[in-house]
Amino acid sequence: MTKMWTTKSFLTKTKRGNIIKIVREHYLRDDLLCGSGACNVCPHKDDELVLEEKPESICTLFDYPHYLILDTNVVLHQIDVLEEDALKNVIILQTVLEEVKHQNTAMYQRLLEIINNKKRRFYSFVNEHHKDTYIEREPGEKQNDRNDRAIRKACAWYETHLSICSVDGKFPKIVLLTDDENNRKIAVEEGIVCCTAKDYVENVTGAIGLIDKLSKNVIPETCSRDALYPAHLTPSQIHEGIRNGKLYQGTYRASRDNFLEGTAVVNGFEKPILLQGHIGINRAVDGDTIAVEIFPEEEWRRPSDIVLEDKADDPGDQLEEEAVLLKVAEPVDKSDEEVTPTGKVVGIIRRKWRQYCGILMRSKFPGAVRHLFTPAEKTIPRVRIETRQSDVLAMQRILVALDSWPRNSRYPLGHFVRALGPIGNKDAENEVILLEHDVPHARFSEAVLACLPPNDWTIPEEEIKKRVDLRSECICSVDPPGCTDIDDALHAKALPGKTGDGLKRYEVGVHIADVTHFVRPNTALDKEAASRSTTVYLVGRRIDMVPDLLSSNLCSLRGGEERLAFSCVWEIDENANIIHTKFHKSVIKSAAAMTYEEAQIAIDDKSRNDKVASSLRILNALAKKLNRKRLDNGALSLSSPEIRFQMDSETHEPVEVAAKKILETNSMVEEFMLLANISVAEKLAAEFPQCAMLRRHPAPPPANFSTFLKAAKQQVR
Amino acid sequence: MPGPDLLSSQGLRLDGRRPNELRRIQCKLGVFTQPDGSAYLEQGNTKVLAAVYGPHQAAKSKSLQDSVVVNCQYSMATFSTGERKNRPRGDRKSQEMSMHLRQALMAAIKTELYPRSQIDIYVEVLQADGGAYCTSVNAATLALIDAGIPIKAYVIACTASLAWKDGEPEPLVDVSHVEEAAGGVVLTVASMPSTGAIGLIEMSHRLHMDYFDTVLSRAMQGCKDIEVILDKVVREHLAEGWTKSDDAITI
Amino acid sequence: MAGLLLSQSEKLFIVHGVQDDYRSDGRSNLDYRPMELETDLVDTATGSARLRLANTDLLVAVKTEIDVPSPDKPDLGKIEFNVDCSANATPQFEGRGGDQLAVGIANLMQAAYQSSQAFNLKQLCIFEGKQCWKLFVDILILECGGNLCDAVSLAVKAALFNTRIPCVKAILMDGGDVDLQLSDDPFDNKLLDVGTAPLLVTLCKIGDKCVVDPSAEEESCSVVSLIVGITGTPSCYSDQENLAEVGGKFSTIDMNGPGSVAPKTLKDAINQGIVAAKLLDKALAKALINERKENIRTKKSSYGFLK
Repeated sequence: MTKMWTTKSFLTKTKRGNIIKIVREHYLRDDLLCGSGACNVCPHKDDELVLEEKPESICTLFDYPHYLILDTNVVLHQIDVLEEDALKNVIILQTVLEEVKHQNTAMYQRLLEIINNKKRRFYSFVNEHHKDTYIEREPGEKQNDRNDRAIRKACAWYETHLSICSVDGKFPKIVLLTDDENNRKIAVEEGIVCCTAKDYVENVTGAIGLIDKLSKNVIPETCSRDALYPAHLTPSQIHEGIRNGKLYQGTYRASRDNFLEGTAVVNGFEKPILLQGHIGINRAVDGDTIAVEIFPEEEWRRPSDIVLEDKADDPGDQLEEEAVLLKVAEPVDKSDEEVTPTGKVVGIIRRKWRQYCGILMRSKFPGAVRHLFTPAEKTIPRVRIETRQSDVLAMQRILVALDSWPRNSRYPLGHFVRALGPIGNKDAENEVILLEHDVPHARFSEAVLACLPPNDWTIPEEEIKKRVDLRSECICSVDPPGCTDIDDALHAKALPGKTGDGLKRYEVGVHIADVTHFVRPNTALDKEAASRSTTVYLVGRRIDMVPDLLSSNLCSLRGGEERLAFSCVWEIDENANIIHTKFHKSVIKSAAAMTYEEAQIAIDDKSRNDKVASSLRILNALAKKLNRKRLDNGALSLSSPEIRFQMDSETHEPVEVAAKKILETNSMVEEFMLLANISVAEKLAAEFPQCAMLRRHPAPPPANFSTFLKAAKQQVR
Repeated sequence: MPGPDLLSSQGLRLDGRRPNELRRIQCKLGVFTQPDGSAYLEQGNTKVLAAVYGPHQAAKSKSLQDSVVVNCQYSMATFSTGERKNRPRGDRKSQEMSMHLRQALMAAIKTELYPRSQIDIYVEVLQADGGAYCTSVNAATLALIDAGIPIKAYVIACTASLAWKDGEPEPLVDVSHVEEAAGGVVLTVASMPSTGAIGLIEMSHRLHMDYFDTVLSRAMQGCKDIEVILDKVVREHLAEGWTKSDDAITI
Repeated sequence: MAGLLLSQSEKLFIVHGVQDDYRSDGRSNLDYRPMELETDLVDTATGSARLRLANTDLLVAVKTEIDVPSPDKPDLGKIEFNVDCSANATPQFEGRGGDQLAVGIANLMQAAYQSSQAFNLKQLCIFEGKQCWKLFVDILILECGGNLCDAVSLAVKAALFNTRIPCVKAILMDGGDVDLQLSDDPFDNKLLDVGTAPLLVTLCKIGDKCVVDPSAEEESCSVVSLIVGITGTPSCYSDQENLAEVGGKFSTIDMNGPGSVAPKTLKDAINQGIVAAKLLDKALAKALINERKENIRTKKSSYGFLK
């Protein structure tokens, strides 16, 4: 391996406003692989041959074997097309990968997923560190132009590299996909075959529905033909406007009741800024970060209290007369407390678009390809999409991505992503709930499952030696009926002797399933669990945070089975004062996994005098005292009743909803979990004062109560 | 926890090196005429000049009966870092560096040969881009060799850090400034690769005991690799003799 | 430096030679010894130069920082000289040992660059009264082999010639603050106009005459030396032919050594210094312009200390 050495230098501004020069080393290598099966020069190992030797062309424009190279914008705009299995043998250059990462992390993750999927045959080529494909920026050259040049350089390199390797003169060609007209022009001059993403995809044969996923071409903001909306300011205009205080930055929140009204909270104004009408909202979508211009005080008014829904049929590209709808001419009484500042959206700083669930409103004209899509979320405007499968999709819940909102379009433009299932179908509707709340619910990936222990895992002898053996203790768990992920268990017993004050002594332990034994830091399993961060319970379905083997088996403290746990054990006197606390890893064997009701019966049934019942009674008595103490200390007791669904045992359909009964045992378990949390928090704060994260609830600001007070006043009247 | 971005998905570091590759090393012995020994060493963008004076008679107050006094001074040029430094030396950091330098070099110098004498070792960092201490130790070793002072073995220093790739720990050798700044652990080892002895070890940030061995052995391997390169230069320098080419512009 | 011992007759030989404009190493009284110069070798600086004159070895780096102009000179930037005597040069410089020498040279340079005719600080202004550039000229003395001042002034001028100031756009905001916007093009920068930047010439009085760039032997024959700062000749640094032959004004003066000078000798010495500085400036300009042209043609890798 020979390394060539070069440096990259650039200027940057420090936090203190100084401008400094930064120099970084940049090594160029000759041992980077091209990844092509048609290559016999690079020393590939078998699993490094990502691109097929004889790729089959699926595009009628190029009827010879070829690989695709994409530019950054094609990846950013057409990720939904790329996620389809149709396109294969694609080279993703490092230049593109880094630009995508820089511009949009979510897109980057999706792109990585495609690359990591071996079946897709996407090869990421490190062109920026390859000695033959690295280029330096030239004086006067823009960064974007430099990157385009780097992409073309890599195209040309692949073309010659593959032709050198070929014995029989038959080698895959390179096709560059770019939507940049100028880039295409230069590429053609340099002899690189290229075309737009749209042209390529429209000529793909044998992949139905691929065209539907094409992102709509973005019309530049400067184009004013048939414009309905005023143009947005450019980023530098916005930047300058915000700097000199003429504009404000805020997050747009659309009104749920009136599609022509929304608000934005900006710094320096106590009340949210009211934005009204098509022009005032100017294509902002709920969640977008926007730049707002605020009107002079004479034009401030109170929010309309009318309900306004977007009309059912598509009026075409024209804006309806909205003065009637909004009744804007209302006189303004300055003393009116409800008068809020008003303003208009003048630019979009960042779009927060995601994919939206909803239903297709078929066009009135048979055979039309343009249809309206109504999102399930009321704050999102309707979207115009193009699809040739409207007959099928009309009956389905579908997922749609937003692409752009040009000035001459009444509705934002989007494209169909996938169908979720028939409207009204339980699974489809569940899917809608999960997607709309951004709950990751895909099946666990191979990489995650590879982190799991074998199904027949038992605790190894040496692990037991490392831990405190509590298998002989009478430990039990108390959970709701039907619970399979038992993550905590308790035990209590009387200790001999008395405290200095002559009180009885008890030992109480809380045992939490030791998940850390199976989920090691930085593994795929750890990252997946971190991104899920909680288990989500739907009516008939549970979205696990960790795979089932852990959540309902190895990390479930089931009765009669040996399990690894982390224990917090106290010595407590009969007045529930903690005398001593210790923490340790342990091995436990739960004596009984009970429901709240069973535990309650065990406590109440005077005839039972077994170990389990007596320890439950100790726990219950202590819990009551702990509860008293906590309330005396100023604890807030919030009662939000939990509900339970009664499921039909055969069809798994919910048949009844009932509020959960609150038994003494509920609060008993809760009390000891709190105690454990408190003890752990104290320990953490003492041991790691620098990095212990403790949660607290500051007093809510009075403004939070304004809506409530308003409602309460009306009640009084 | 170091950021996962220290290694790309293709297994390359931010500057294009693989985890076990050193930065480019360039060096020259005998750059100055006045000191008894001098050397210039570049490891990537970290550039260091070292000069050695002595052994000469020690000042009365310092003089030792049975061994030589090793005096080290570590100094960083005010322009060596991205943001300008106000003082080249005398601050706490460079005093610590001077002490560490002395610690590592004392381990190799045959101190018993020169009682009541003193050796001065001065190090000037011209550009710092990570691993300034290591480059200083290595340059000082070369300057000692140039001065003809007997040493037991080459003292070579090298850093190592830890990155993660697909959930697996992967130690990185010869850490650059960007990698240092990413906030991961940096383990600095000064060792004598030919004997395997460690003269100084220092670590910043936290590292789990489980990974200590892998990181340490990567750093030790780095020391070995550097020794091979430096040894070659020393041999070439001695074979060539002190000749001076004249390609720079002459007024 | 070890003390140099010369016999009386050797000294006499040198003194008599100087009177006849003929020096012991064959130079005339206005000649310098050969020098080596290289620019642009410190990556972290915006401009740099290394100069080697006899056994003197210097590294000069220019760093730029954003600063606020002083209220009495709102349209001027700032320049500050710092000298660091590395212990690499001699163990006497260890710790704070070199501070006295360092401060002396730094002050001399500061004085020489003070005049607007020597160095135009207006070119460092970003936004009048609000923001300006401050140049830190850091001089690192790596080896100390005579004629330090002259060498420092040459290296500083070369480093300033090599300096590229980044282009920034200053925008005045509502609160009266200035916001700086940095171009994302690393090539978007401007060169400094250093044509008039002064050079220091040390004149060593031997007998009644003075020599420049004295050798160690000559220094031991002299009791006093004069240091004069002479502004540069801009025409040498410009392609424009019609530029008037200005420059050669002297901007600072200093004396070293235990002896004294007669006013007549002083005047002669200054005139001699002006002539020497002009010759020196021409040679420097030629070398620098040559190097710049070469750098544009081929992307050179610097030799630095590896040569």
